[in-house]
Amino acid sequence: MTAAAARSTPLSRAATRGARIGPDWRNGLFVVPFLLVYLGMLIYPLFWGMWISLQEYDMFDQSATYAGLVNFKRLFGDAIFLGTVRNTFVFVLMTVPAFVIIGLGLALALNREGRTGATLRAVFFGASVLSVTIVTIIWKIMYLPDIGLLSHILGLFGIAPIPFLTSQSLALPAVAVTTVWWIIGLPMMLFLAALQQIPGELYEAAALDNAGRWRSLRSITLPSITRTFVVVVIYEIVAQFQLFGQALLLTRGGPNNTSRPIVLFIYETGFRDWNLGYAAAASEILFLLMAIAAMAQYIASRRREA
Amino acid sequence: MSSIELDRVSKRFGPVEVISELSLRIESGEFVAFLGASGCGKTTLLRMIAGLETINSGEIRIGGERVDELPPGARGVAMVFQHYALYPHMTIYDNMAFGLKNIGVERAMIDERVRQAAKILEIEPLLARKPGQLSGGQRQRVAIGRALVKDPKAFLFDEPLSNLDAALRIRTRVELARLHQQTRATTIFVTHDQVEAMTLAGRIVVMNARKIEQIGTPMEIYGRPASEFVARFVGSPPMNFLPVTVAGQNGHALLTLPSGAELMTHIGLESLPANEALRLGIRAEAIRLDSDGPLPGKVEVVERLGDRTHVHVRLADDSTLIAEDAGHSRAAPGDAVHLRIDAGQAHLFDAQGRGYRANEEAHR
Amino acid sequence: MAQGQRFVGRSVGDRVILGCVILLAVVWLTPIAWVVILSFKSNSELMMTTGSAFRLPYTLKNYSDVLATSGVFHWFLNSVIVASGVTIATLILASLAGYGFARTQFPFRNTIFILVLLGLAIPEQAVIIARHQMFTDWKMHNTYTALILPGLSNAFGVFLMTQYFRSIPRDIDEAAMLDNASRFKVFWRVLLPLTIPAQATLGIFTFLGAWNDYLWPLISATKPEMFTLTIGIASTQTNFAQSEGLGFLMAQAVFAGLPVLIVYLFFQRYIVQAVAGAAIR
Repeated sequence: MTAAAARSTPLSRAATRGARIGPDWRNGLFVVPFLLVYLGMLIYPLFWGMWISLQEYDMFDQSATYAGLVNFKRLFGDAIFLGTVRNTFVFVLMTVPAFVIIGLGLALALNREGRTGATLRAVFFGASVLSVTIVTIIWKIMYLPDIGLLSHILGLFGIAPIPFLTSQSLALPAVAVTTVWWIIGLPMMLFLAALQQIPGELYEAAALDNAGRWRSLRSITLPSITRTFVVVVIYEIVAQFQLFGQALLLTRGGPNNTSRPIVLFIYETGFRDWNLGYAAAASEILFLLMAIAAMAQYIASRRREA
Repeated sequence: MSSIELDRVSKRFGPVEVISELSLRIESGEFVAFLGASGCGKTTLLRMIAGLETINSGEIRIGGERVDELPPGARGVAMVFQHYALYPHMTIYDNMAFGLKNIGVERAMIDERVRQAAKILEIEPLLARKPGQLSGGQRQRVAIGRALVKDPKAFLFDEPLSNLDAALRIRTRVELARLHQQTRATTIFVTHDQVEAMTLAGRIVVMNARKIEQIGTPMEIYGRPASEFVARFVGSPPMNFLPVTVAGQNGHALLTLPSGAELMTHIGLESLPANEALRLGIRAEAIRLDSDGPLPGKVEVVERLGDRTHVHVRLADDSTLIAEDAGHSRAAPGDAVHLRIDAGQAHLFDAQGRGYRANEEAHR
Repeated sequence: MAQGQRFVGRSVGDRVILGCVILLAVVWLTPIAWVVILSFKSNSELMMTTGSAFRLPYTLKNYSDVLATSGVFHWFLNSVIVASGVTIATLILASLAGYGFARTQFPFRNTIFILVLLGLAIPEQAVIIARHQMFTDWKMHNTYTALILPGLSNAFGVFLMTQYFRSIPRDIDEAAMLDNASRFKVFWRVLLPLTIPAQATLGIFTFLGAWNDYLWPLISATKPEMFTLTIGIASTQTNFAQSEGLGFLMAQAVFAGLPVLIVYLFFQRYIVQAVAGAAIR
């Protein structure tokens, strides 16, 4: 191609069409659509919610009067609310260790190639794609005395049917078991991803050093996945603090408020009793508790590292 | 084709000024290499010309017109990236046509230009494929083709050969030289490989720590390095250096080597700084094995290259010199040998690294 | 090296562990199997006892009833509309924003990005009361908009797309700029096509999340014709204890669960990749 051949180069037309480097406010337009929804549907309601929590709502005419921290003070004295906080904490303590131990165990066992591994992983993860309503139907028909499968199984051993969902001591654990059954797939997958990041050479070197299975597990595997470990724990704490659907549909928070979590309290206060200010205050406390729990876990893990 | 001018250009990254008041002129049709180690600023300079980096002061002119305020696409330059930067999801044809489409060239003209460029680069059969299906060498041609198609005022190459294997690199070098002869295009070629710079460029800009060390033709750079850095960087094996003391004789420098041997050079005494420790720089091809030579030593390592042999000799004062011997040299490690240095090819370097050389072009 | 061998090979210990896991998997599947079996039993039989589950006769009547009567179809349609709407809108918004954050410069970009990331820490419950009030004031409850809009404020999509855009080598952008492409063209014609894997991942995650969403649709879609499948199924659970239409209920649950499980089986690879990808970050 000789230089002369295309001297009619239209390159000169290009002067204003191409992109420029460097900051340009017009580039911000890419971000604007999302920001609008973000501000409107998240940030604005966040602050409005805080405002609502400072209001006292009249349940009959829905009028609101500014009341300062009255709602919060009342919540601190509300036995039912405090009970829900206790229940939620207990629930988190029941489920998170289970998620971590079972999840890690399954990940270790199923960290293999081949069809069997993949199928088994699919089984455990599959439950988590079901909605909470389907999961609770499934477990209701497991738990209910006389008609539930568990009753039949107990019957085979000659044991009388146990009313799991209506027992004060067993209702919350029952919800916990359902939850673990439902979402074990996620921690399992997170651990699996972390395990697959560990270079195989580390294990080979350990084998040459005559390290047995347990030793390798303790000295290579566990230290390598600490970061994921922390992520899983924090994530699950935050997620299980938000327990709602399973409790509502399995036990309605009963019997006697033994399985009522904070979010169910918020839901009933806000959308059944229409006491919006009180419910908003409860939701702010929930937010705070979650943030504290996540922070605490994060700081604890940092300290362990150092 | 156009000239490229950098006029006192400066660039800052935050508080650090990385390029200060740099000026450079490249004539239309020239093939210039920016040569230096990583981090020396050669790529930054190239990107500033392309418009991919901003400048803080100074001017850049292409073909006499000021371009430093124009976006990259409007400057009329084309760039071939180190990793080719082809669009993975488009066919080769579309890769090459993209630029022209964006400025509204008619379909027929685009087709003509793409096919012509493809013919020159021998990539016609690849036009319907995607980059992922091509080999490294083919991808590189497509990258060049993409530049060729735009008929730019200047071509900018960013280390284009560094990702090719050795054999391909040599072949492509020759092809690039041929392409330049055909197109007579103004070309800037950034590389850290001094062989590429020496063989391809009409002029080399040697850079170090974001400053220009020397600009010159390959032979100027090689034969008359302006600084110790340039002397070290260009030439294989690297230049030998020895500390020497200088005395005068007939207005020229008489050097005394650490071993005591003397070397009479043609370097004018007046040009040298007084009362300073100087270093002798001498290339391997100026040091021969000579049984009558004044410098005794012991052979440590012998590197045979076929057409010549590099003999590493340790001198009495424990310093090492690399000497050049014939390809069929009989030298072996452990041999006691004598060296003779051709004083006409001696260089002297002062404490700041500045180079000094005899004025006559002696013994070439 | 016998010990090394034992470690890597198909040892006895290995087999035992696998066996335990298989057993566990069977236990895991049992509840689902139980529901499926019951769905094939007639309601009247089940009223007497569910113990008859393992004996004949079985029937398809429950399924035909589900297909004929309940609002399942309508709920299903609502779920499809809502989940699709959320997914498509999220992909668009997140891609645009991801490109903007990752590849362009504008004033306050980094600050704004951090503020968006902080949004990931805000739980739904902290905003839901105010959100409900907003839509009440606008009289927009029981609309598709109400069901779709809140879901778009999730910063996760933006986070994912920003990370993905960042991972594409910058020289492609630069080549495109030298080729005279405008900022939008660089996005639309050059970079966006390269993000298909991330789009698939984000799309599936978002779709499943929107499909299974419970709390918000529960309080916003109060009229039965606006129920999503998830809410609709829940609404029929109240009569559980009477075990009147037990078989019917089971069939309904299977009906609701099947589409999701099918989507899951199809897109399993992407879902796993998504989770793994998120973990590595």
